[in-house]
Amino acid sequence: MARANDIPQPTRDHILALECPAFPDTPWVAAKPLRECRVAILTTAALHQKSEASFPTGTAEYRQLPATLTDPAISHISINFDRSGMQRDINVAFPIDRLRELAADGVVGNVADTHYSTMGSTDPMLMSETADSIVAHLKAQQVDALLLVPV
Amino acid sequence: MIESRGVATVIIGLVRPHMERTQPPRGLWVPFPLGRPLGEPADAGFQRRVLQAALDLLERRDGPVILEDFPDDSPSMADRGAWRPEFVLPPRPATLLETADEWIPALEAEMQSLIPAWEGAKRNSGRTMVGNSRLAQPDWLPYAAEFLRGNVPDSTVEGMSSAVLLRYVADDIKALYYEAAQAVAPYPTSRQMENWFWYETLASDFLRALRATAIESEHKGFNVACSRFVVPLPFVERR
Repeated sequence: MARANDIPQPTRDHILALECPAFPDTPWVAAKPLRECRVAILTTAALHQKSEASFPTGTAEYRQLPATLTDPAISHISINFDRSGMQRDINVAFPIDRLRELAADGVVGNVADTHYSTMGSTDPMLMSETADSIVAHLKAQQVDALLLVPV
Repeated sequence: MIESRGVATVIIGLVRPHMERTQPPRGLWVPFPLGRPLGEPADAGFQRRVLQAALDLLERRDGPVILEDFPDDSPSMADRGAWRPEFVLPPRPATLLETADEWIPALEAEMQSLIPAWEGAKRNSGRTMVGNSRLAQPDWLPYAAEFLRGNVPDSTVEGMSSAVLLRYVADDIKALYYEAAQAVAPYPTSRQMENWFWYETLASDFLRALRATAIESEHKGFNVACSRFVVPLPFVERR
């Protein structure tokens, strides 16, 4: 799990002690019915196409991922999460095939053409401009809901 | 941060205390290993249940804040019998090797013993996560072993410092072993995978030797990159 007891020490203490921002408000956007929603995915695995440069250490940048990721790379600086699952099946952290299946079955409206990747170890408070840019792109692409998948 | 800018979100989270602190509008906590938010690789049915449980939160009208727990453990959690990879590694020396001249041939022999399995995995999946360093496999060890000689070799890859290149060579070594070990069923759990790599391979001894050298190094980039971002803290001691 990530039940705390399943994370080996000293990684467990490190993760539980990470400072998380306390946001001043709890925003809420009423979503469309799921069967009408256009959905995109955001992973924090520092996933990108191998032909692109790696994520620099501490970066607040993000990458756009095509819905068909042919040659994936993970350049996350953290070594405290499992990569073997993603090496065997990328859907375990970037569930693009499962989302496509739910869209094909009519559970979800449709799947966005572009998805997003960040480096999850970066301080979220440094990512305000990143969020602005991602949201502008989501709106331009008529995306109704974003699935956030940290690793 | 996304929702406050006007787009509805739902998060699949692995660390419940973080979700409790950050209060995302809609969250599904999942009791799976870090790095596996959908639970189980190559188990479409299980992954789909997790995804559906998360997306269903978008239909709810009683937020914010909604935090639900996924009810089931992933099959990734419970070890499945005594797992072994399909290949057999050359015997691992009982004591640590000392010089770069000893490490290179011994480790190259270990790598060659699993490269056929890795090539099979690559053929079957049509891709590989090996490649962060941009170096060809035969160039990995000559580059990394220079650090054991007390040198900090120039990076041969544009846009990468010497230390970053070393970190990515370490990523590539780990990815090569992990992909080779998962080439065919039965597949290991994440814990079996880690225990096998970090306690049974000469490659892990090599990465620990690099870490020990980095800790003593006055070269800041090598010191930081290799003391902190190559060997996970639970595995810094050899067994």
